[in-house]
Amino acid sequence: MSGTATRSVPRLSDGVENELGHALPEGICRTFRVMPYAHHQGRILVAVTDAEDAIAEHVVAERLDRPVVLVRHTAHEISDVIDQAYPPVEAEVESPQARRARMQMTRMLTRSGLVTSAQMQRAMLEYSRTGDPLGDILVSHGSISEDVLVAALSEMHQLQRVGLVGFEPDYDIARRLPEKTVRTLQAIPVAETEGEVLVAVARPLSPADAREVEDLLGQPFRQLLANRSDLDQLIQRIHSHHYVDVSTRFLKDNFPERSAHVVVTPAQKALFLVAVVAVVVCAAFWPTATATAVIGAGTLLYLFVALYRVRLTLHALGARLETDVTDEEIAALDERNLPVYTILVPLYREAAIVPRLIRDIDALDYPRTRLDVKLLCEADDLDTIDKIKELALPPHYHLVVVPDSQPKTKPKACNYGLQLATGSLTVIYDAEDRPDPDQLKKVLVAFERVTDDVVCVQAKLNYYNQDQNLLTSWFANEYSMQFELVLPAMGASESPIPLGGSSNHFKTHVLREIGAWDPYNVTEDADLGIRLHREGYRTALVDSTTLEEANSQVGNWVRQRSRWNKGYFQTWLVHMRHPFQLLRQTGLKGFVSFNLTMATALVLLMNPIFWALTSAYLLTEWSVIEAVYPAPVFYASSLMLVVGNFVFVYLNVAGSLQRGEFGLTRTALLSPIYWGLMSYAAWRGFIQLFTNPFYWEKTEHGIDEAPAP
Amino acid sequence: MTSEATETTDASDAAGTAGATETAGSAVTAGAGARATGVATATESPAADTSLRGRSSGVVQAVGRRPADIRRRPWESLAIFVVFAVSYSVLGHWLVVDLHVVGFETLDRWARALMVSTNDPPKLAAVGFDLPPLSVLFLAPFAVVPALTKTLAVVPVVSAVFAGFTMVTVNTMMRRAQVVIAVRLAVLAALGLNPLVVMYASTGGRSFLWLALVLAALGAIFAWYVTADIRFVMVAGVAFAVATLAGYGSLVWFLVSLVLVAVILARLGADGTEVEGTTVGLASPTVYVVALWSAFNLAILGAPFHWVTESSDVGTSGGVSDLSFLEILRGTGELVLDGAPIAIVVLPALLFTGVARRNGFALWLGILLLVTILTPGVAVLVHLTDSPLTMDNALPMLLVSVVGAVWLARSTVQGPGLVAAALAAGLALSIPWTFSSMETFRHQGLERAFHDAITTGETQEGTRTLDGSYVGYGLEQEVADYISDHVDGRGSVLTDNASTYAVVLLTGAPELFLDRVDRSDDDWAEAAEAPADHVDYLLLSTDTARDALSRRYPEAAAGDDLVLEQVFANDRYVLVKVPDDYRYGDQLPDDLDADGNGVLDSEESADPDGALDEGGVGGVVGEGPADSTDSTADEQSGGTP
Repeated sequence: MSGTATRSVPRLSDGVENELGHALPEGICRTFRVMPYAHHQGRILVAVTDAEDAIAEHVVAERLDRPVVLVRHTAHEISDVIDQAYPPVEAEVESPQARRARMQMTRMLTRSGLVTSAQMQRAMLEYSRTGDPLGDILVSHGSISEDVLVAALSEMHQLQRVGLVGFEPDYDIARRLPEKTVRTLQAIPVAETEGEVLVAVARPLSPADAREVEDLLGQPFRQLLANRSDLDQLIQRIHSHHYVDVSTRFLKDNFPERSAHVVVTPAQKALFLVAVVAVVVCAAFWPTATATAVIGAGTLLYLFVALYRVRLTLHALGARLETDVTDEEIAALDERNLPVYTILVPLYREAAIVPRLIRDIDALDYPRTRLDVKLLCEADDLDTIDKIKELALPPHYHLVVVPDSQPKTKPKACNYGLQLATGSLTVIYDAEDRPDPDQLKKVLVAFERVTDDVVCVQAKLNYYNQDQNLLTSWFANEYSMQFELVLPAMGASESPIPLGGSSNHFKTHVLREIGAWDPYNVTEDADLGIRLHREGYRTALVDSTTLEEANSQVGNWVRQRSRWNKGYFQTWLVHMRHPFQLLRQTGLKGFVSFNLTMATALVLLMNPIFWALTSAYLLTEWSVIEAVYPAPVFYASSLMLVVGNFVFVYLNVAGSLQRGEFGLTRTALLSPIYWGLMSYAAWRGFIQLFTNPFYWEKTEHGIDEAPAP
Repeated sequence: MTSEATETTDASDAAGTAGATETAGSAVTAGAGARATGVATATESPAADTSLRGRSSGVVQAVGRRPADIRRRPWESLAIFVVFAVSYSVLGHWLVVDLHVVGFETLDRWARALMVSTNDPPKLAAVGFDLPPLSVLFLAPFAVVPALTKTLAVVPVVSAVFAGFTMVTVNTMMRRAQVVIAVRLAVLAALGLNPLVVMYASTGGRSFLWLALVLAALGAIFAWYVTADIRFVMVAGVAFAVATLAGYGSLVWFLVSLVLVAVILARLGADGTEVEGTTVGLASPTVYVVALWSAFNLAILGAPFHWVTESSDVGTSGGVSDLSFLEILRGTGELVLDGAPIAIVVLPALLFTGVARRNGFALWLGILLLVTILTPGVAVLVHLTDSPLTMDNALPMLLVSVVGAVWLARSTVQGPGLVAAALAAGLALSIPWTFSSMETFRHQGLERAFHDAITTGETQEGTRTLDGSYVGYGLEQEVADYISDHVDGRGSVLTDNASTYAVVLLTGAPELFLDRVDRSDDDWAEAAEAPADHVDYLLLSTDTARDALSRRYPEAAAGDDLVLEQVFANDRYVLVKVPDDYRYGDQLPDDLDADGNGVLDSEESADPDGALDEGGVGGVVGEGPADSTDSTADEQSGGTP
């Protein structure tokens, strides 16, 4: 209940009661120019400039726990009191000109009926928190279109508009400004006439920016306001060759030793050849001893991998290793200081799940005006491109069309999008991802808390369709173990972390410096984690989850998994080109951790061989098999058979319990069957490493039976 | 998960964590609050129902977060462990090495461990199937230095280590019960000085091997109940599994705990999925090891439940299996009265607290203690025990009573200190009582020898237990010394290690022997048939009923063989030299036929594989079921009859 009063009540000049000084947040006080100041007859008196302002009344009444009475005061009186309660910080306080412009925009849009009171109230509230331009907020909410906003700005700033849809640019003119300037200022020359260049801009340039543009052009120019989405498309079109070149060649040209464009180096080939010849020769002369040595080495590898996993798991079970962020810490974030966050979403033939993707990104608790969402599509994927265009998304969604070129991989698309990124932080999500709504803010807090060398924060991954069938349950078991136990322990021990394919949050400038993703590596995520570590950077785990779609079809799953295994082999080969250099850069612990992590792919290759040996012996008791198992090898093998296998099964149970996925514990007990599938996929990937190393086995998404609401 | 316990925090723990005062019930409430917040946030998103918080809505345990718990004190735990482990080891050295107070079952396990570690070749098969496998395998790493096993110096160390671990577990439980450190130390001292604890911790027996793990599991369930932290269910699950393979009796505690966890979750309103998932997490390790062990029994012995029906843990009820129901009741009462008198107070207190104050965990501990007390008697009734109503059965009763008393301390309105102090006093008062009982208790092993060794400080070599068994290993040592001095060829002494394990152990050189573990039973039988082709000596036990080789060469075992020259002999063993051209049958014994088949008794004749399979695979049994229990008969009697 609220009301208004203009006489016979205390005035602001009588002072502000102590408990009311901070009853409303600063942003609301300044945005709506309101100030609660006294209790009177069971009501709270609130100073306002316009006692009839229904929006201000509603906002204030919602936030105070008693009925309010709006009391008209002058703007000057109210501002003074607000400044006393919240001493102004120069950079954060709205200038009078800006306030006038905002009020002008408000009046223009409300009086014309283009925006409802509710929409304006919502936008004003967001403005009070973020201080972002009101028009941009309204556009990001979908309350008005970008064209309407451009028209309004054109009116306010007395600038001409220009439509860029269907515009055929003159490339020479368009490239008169360097790509970096074009990208950062969102300004591109579109024509030249009567001694001046016409420059399409997203927003009127500041005087300093205008001077810079004029200097670069070397002649006067005139600004034309353009739709941001259209301008963005034009910029991509003009500079696409540059972007393609950088996204495919940067790493290869600048850090060739870190690029997987060569699968096996000549030195590695020679080494492997010598090893194979040595084994063959030894096998010819000393078959039993050679077999024993090979089996012993394999068993030892099993043992080390198992012990390492157990150690990590015990560490994770014994302590909380992820970076925890509380709701209170998130609430305490000042949204005026939130950075622009770039979200890269590679899409390929995934038109059907685009609406779901937009819904889940919209659900993120982050000001949309500070989101820079890049929807990365391949040029030949017209369905997805058309679908995105059809949705007429607000301009914080950027359709990025990656021109057709080789290698046609997800990392290349990400590299392409990264060049257009405007955020200081960048995260990659897959098309079907459902991140926790507060994930971006959690990561921000996490970055503030960890040491400066942490440049990547990995969120946990799991699956929303885990109950769909046995395969998805197994997959969820595996991810629960990996992201609840193994990776947190690796992060805590500062070991190189093979990043997950999604929900890695980076400091953008570092990502660019090190060459971002390797377009030739089919597990570019794992490779990037290792490269970050080699450069002296670290990765932390945050306690926030992104739910993905688990592969529910065996064929699709095998394709995905074979790519992962192929990528692990690629990554191992790349980083082991100079093992001593790797050892020096990562330290012994990191070196061992890297090798044991990558060795999981090798273990999957060995599994069928050892299973066959065990089965053959049990069925035939063939003395030859017995002969190649001397006591130490036999004991180690027995330990792995009897204890190791169960430990791996139970780690899956533990991961699911740790996550509270009680329904998955049963399927975890059946995971040895899953290992069979994993081994099949590993062999497929291994063979493909030689036959088609850069081929990207595309995972089909959106095939879960129970689509999300 | 308790709503009944209202605790106060003692000074030492209050600084450690405020959460220590939190009941699991409140932890669950807090969890629900957190989830409520999450759900409220999530409802802003259409996809909210799939978020973790949304999905875990209604879960009564702490998942995805760490509930408050006591702060870790590794140095305190380490100090307690070291004090008890070292004390028991030192005392054990005096008892075992100097005063010869050690059970033959213990020597048997060490001999097997030695053969697993350092035989020629090392053989996992030496573990056998008649003992819980981990009761041997736990010793194997300690047996890699034969010099230490030869002198028996390492024998008390393992039991002492496990006893030290038990004390750490009890201390941690008391910390969770907010017992102040002074009282905790008093309880630990009183428990640690209990003569039953001292004896089984310091003489190398296997009781503490599995009891330490059972206590660890109970401690984990205790922690789970207090904190609602799901991790402790996993800890308990793994501990029970390992305990099962160290002592089959652990299965009783495991089953009772499994029921408890399910019932508590159901009472708290957990849905079926949570109950099922949690019980799967708790049960799967134990189910796995039981299934695996049964599979091994099936694959190698053809009898999946051989470990239940034929192991040394069962079937040796012997004469006492004929006890009447009333005698069993009386024996049970004596066990409680003499071995764990605090149970007389703790059991009714737990049951009363459980029922009258609706304290679920107290009720469960009461049931657990009752089961612990009744198990030895029931085992006698169903002929499933290796030590019927013997005094070692009082040890689990004592330890479970302590756990129960610790929980009572945590649950008391007056504060934990008073009850814990009463526990310390009760334990201290029972020390002379129990010690005195050890001299006269009807069914016992080495208790009287232990009592006499402590009171007199004199060696027990050659003394007799209450049932007339021989104490000490002096005769074995004589033979071992002779062999060590005169034999140096690998595999040059043929012997049935099921009977001569103590000699093998005391030589510290199992590679000198061609025993039934080394190769297959067929190979061993072939060597027994033509020893001159394989060995230089035969080591025979004078007790032909227990030794397959002595049965084949009874005259040599008696020292009457004219061809097989006796080179060393004492009351229990004969070492004979095998002439180069000797063939079995050169001097045909009266009770053998020309083929030598007569060495097998009628039962073995009916099943030609019987004797050899057991020895070849199990390694040290070598005899049919009746004989396979010999070593355990030694354990209960404490010596050789």
